Amino acid sequence: MVGRSLKRILLVEDDPDIQTITSMALGSFGGFTVHVCGSAAEAIQAAAEFRPDLILLDVMMPGMDGVDTLRALREIPETVSTPVIFLTARVQPADVAKYKELDSLAVIRKPFEPTALVETIHEIWTRHRGEVH
Amino acid sequence: MAAVSSAFEELADQYPVALREYCRGGGEAALLRAYQIGRHAVAAGVGVLEMAAVHEEALVALLLDMIALEETARLAKRASEFFAECMAPFELTRRGYQEAHAALRDMTQGLERRLNAALQDFESAQDELLEQKRMEKQKNDFISLISHEVRTPLTSIHGALNLLKSGLGGELNPQGQRLLDAAYRNSQRLVRLVNDLLDLQRIESGTMTFHLRPVDVRSLLEQAVEASQAHAGQLGIKIVLQSAPAGARVRVDGDRMMQVMTNLLSNAAKFSPPEETVVVDAFRRNGIVRVEVTDRGPGVPADFHGRIFQRFAQAASSDRGGSGLGLSITKALVEHMSGHVGFESEPGRTTFYFDLPEWRRTVSREKAAENTWSAGR
Repeated sequence: MVGRSLKRILLVEDDPDIQTITSMALGSFGGFTVHVCGSAAEAIQAAAEFRPDLILLDVMMPGMDGVDTLRALREIPETVSTPVIFLTARVQPADVAKYKELDSLAVIRKPFEPTALVETIHEIWTRHRGEVH
Repeated sequence: MAAVSSAFEELADQYPVALREYCRGGGEAALLRAYQIGRHAVAAGVGVLEMAAVHEEALVALLLDMIALEETARLAKRASEFFAECMAPFELTRRGYQEAHAALRDMTQGLERRLNAALQDFESAQDELLEQKRMEKQKNDFISLISHEVRTPLTSIHGALNLLKSGLGGELNPQGQRLLDAAYRNSQRLVRLVNDLLDLQRIESGTMTFHLRPVDVRSLLEQAVEASQAHAGQLGIKIVLQSAPAGARVRVDGDRMMQVMTNLLSNAAKFSPPEETVVVDAFRRNGIVRVEVTDRGPGVPADFHGRIFQRFAQAASSDRGGSGLGLSITKALVEHMSGHVGFESEPGRTTFYFDLPEWRRTVSREKAAENTWSAGR
């Protein structure tokens, strides 16, 4: 994964409206290829084939939540070390500490400004690349 | 009679101190003190009943200080030893012996009654406290739930408006643009309210974490001014950092401090007449660093002065789109970092300020580099 540029983003988000807005912002302002999944099951199924550079992961989802989804994605060889950013409304200190323990890059708090999302992701990505090298 | 009365007063002063000393682990010397107190009492004509009353008073005071049950039992045993030693001089006479036994019996009964009453008071106070805590938890859970539940739809509404404003949906006619601006402005207000509510709940429930470290005041203010400049510019307001003491540092959480400054600066910009300047000033005074934010707005109405830092407080004359939580959050944040917030206001000039203790410890160059403050949340 090291050295790979950021082109393909897997968005895991159950809310259809947030899916639309987020993928629109990522596509229009960042030129990313975005694959949208509405649930953990969909994400686990799509991950190996889509081979994302980055995963944007919601936390509160029916069925398997974001935290367990991340654990499941880590079991898949293609996403075992794919960088993950949580995109969530759950940002209590205890939640954030948990995301950190799970080796995620960062947490973006909902609501967010879609027009600033690409820049935020680039900043996080650049910082991560700097840490990896 | 006067001599007995003065001896009793002396006894009432000395006895609790000596008893406390013995009960807290005093040895032979403390016990000898008991015997001396007893002898002194006999010589001065103080009766056994009076001695018992003094003992009871001192013991109840001591026991009420105790929290752990095992400590209470140990202490009661030590107190009995102490009192028995005090009684020894009285037993030298037959009358004194009888009185001492009667007094001990009465005192034990009185003590039981008083301790039971105190225990009941303690239990009901505890119940009250538990109920208060339960209510507090319910309130926090509710705010937390509402805040999360509101965030999801708000993400869509605010996000969609944000994208429309960026021109993603094509150009709107002037009327459409005005409507979009109004919707966007108000969704921003809602976002602020939700964020502020959650912050306040975190502060009040003690779950907000503060990473305190020494921060250079000047660079902190420079970054805060820069971060708020764009927003102020939209209102036609300029923010200027007039002065800041060189090398002054305060021990704060950088992100929380940024939040404090953003609140004060956005308030100042909001209330300033267009084309005016908001001035930021900082200076040292008696080991304190004071930061001031001054605007040229209409001033805080006198009848609002007492409530300005309260939650949801907004002056009747104000309709500036705030959540009514900003200043109360600012105050709570500054106070959590050992600071103090205040304001001075007159028509045409309002200054909000906060004082923080100056951090003076010398740190190594490496450490100082680590402490470089980074903006952004």
